Amino acid sequence: MSAIRLVACNDIKRQFAQPFAWILLALTTALLAWQFLIALDAYLRIAPKLGAVPNSQGATDLIAIPLLRSLSGLLMLLVPLATMQTLAGERRAHTLPLLLAAGIGNLRIVLGKFIGAFVLVAAVVLIAVCMPLMLEFGTALDLARLAAATFGLLLLAASLTAIGIACSAWTAHPALAAAAALIIGSLLAMIDMGARYQGIDNALINWLSLSTHLEPFFFGLVASIDIVYFLLVTTLALLFAARRLDSLRTRG
Amino acid sequence: MNESSPALELDRIGRHLSGRAIVEDLSLALERGEVLGLLGVNGAGKSTTLRMMSGMLAPSSGQVRLGGLDLYANPGYARRNVGYLPEEPPLYGELTIEEYLRFCARLHGVDRSAIVAAVERAIERCELGEMRRRLTSLLSKGFRQRVGLAQALVHEPALIVLDEPASGLDPIQALRLRDLIRALSKDHAVVLSTHVLSDVLACCDRVAILHRGRLRHSTVLSELDAGGAMLVHLERDIDDQAWMRIVHVARAQAIGTRRWRIDLKHCSGAGDLAKAINDAGYGLVELRSDNNALEDIFVRIAAETAVPEACA
Repeated sequence: MSAIRLVACNDIKRQFAQPFAWILLALTTALLAWQFLIALDAYLRIAPKLGAVPNSQGATDLIAIPLLRSLSGLLMLLVPLATMQTLAGERRAHTLPLLLAAGIGNLRIVLGKFIGAFVLVAAVVLIAVCMPLMLEFGTALDLARLAAATFGLLLLAASLTAIGIACSAWTAHPALAAAAALIIGSLLAMIDMGARYQGIDNALINWLSLSTHLEPFFFGLVASIDIVYFLLVTTLALLFAARRLDSLRTRG
Repeated sequence: MNESSPALELDRIGRHLSGRAIVEDLSLALERGEVLGLLGVNGAGKSTTLRMMSGMLAPSSGQVRLGGLDLYANPGYARRNVGYLPEEPPLYGELTIEEYLRFCARLHGVDRSAIVAAVERAIERCELGEMRRRLTSLLSKGFRQRVGLAQALVHEPALIVLDEPASGLDPIQALRLRDLIRALSKDHAVVLSTHVLSDVLACCDRVAILHRGRLRHSTVLSELDAGGAMLVHLERDIDDQAWMRIVHVARAQAIGTRRWRIDLKHCSGAGDLAKAINDAGYGLVELRSDNNALEDIFVRIAAETAVPEACA
């Protein structure tokens, strides 16, 4: 456990010693804040009329959930950028031998890298959640639904981070790792698009899609099958990354 | 750890890549307190061998044993007992030297309470004191190499593996590195690869020459000197025939004005030759061991397959 923590802390420290992580956080926060303010402005304009409509949607439906749904799309692009350097960068900088020769084990290296990258991604999610959460001072939010959506987004972020780590283990080129992670993440999100156009929404291909398992969280539904799906994707991707490190040791 | 086992033992190790043998059937043993120099031309398999010694790369066949334990099967043991400096020092440019060495010490399992002392000792040994708060990305090649060396010894491992440690060092730094390696050999087993024969002669006890992945020559350097040729500088001009009248001389080769390279017969020593020269009245000015013996062996081995390599 200490080796995992050591690798993770080293990565976090190195990430935040560079401008890249700060710029990524700043730009993402600015983009989300802009979306949040536009949604808030629109909400304030129609709020007086909403009061007259029975069972009308509130700030959670009209501001918080659209913002978080938008973030889920942004994560597809953001996470590959946050993970591309994890192992590919180590290989390019010739620092991977330090970790491999330290005898801490491939899975521990991968888990340390995963936690290190996930901290940055989770920070983006939490910053985004804080924006609608501030509305709690002025209006009543559906906090349980907001918590479910946040949990879903963190699970999605974990899966995308693991995919990013696996791609970063696969190649020594960070840009290629980012591109591969973006393509795989997008493919998993859209894999059932064709099926849905044809009205199929309960087949295996739907089950494989990230979107199928993320959407219920936005409605406040936390189902174990969805949690298992994200944990499965995360685990498989991390095992692939560890396997790849092992093949670097055994096959060169 | 078995105390009676050699510090490092390579037992018929081999390494294949895409069906091609990079290292084949390599066996070596090294005791604590010894320095082994690994020589070979580019592509001879030196770096691959060192990676296997460090536990970073698994051998395709055979075993690397450290203190009697299989290194690859006991990664935790390797973590504490092997220090490895790859050809390119593995530095994190975002960290200062001190932060980096602290990370390396913890990575190799040094206790939290002992980290400060371990880092101080490594900084002192590698003469990094004035640069300790400098980011490693801002260091010159020589300093990068020294930081790489410091990370290899910060946890006081039993075995230190150095891949071309003198690369990028200026002549003064290279001389200090030799002293450091000699000092390290008192408590550690050290393996180093280099192209510089004078480094091997200055700091190694033993030398192993690899060629095309195979061990082609392995010897103790003191034995190489004892059985090797002598360089002689005389006061008088003499010819080959005069040399052949001395019973200790197997072959004489003129290499300059009154300068000769003499191959001694088996069981004859430098003292015998000096006495015979004086007895014959040739006037001995200088007599020393010919360090080129190692170079000759190295060049001969490298030349053996130079033609096929060029044809391939």
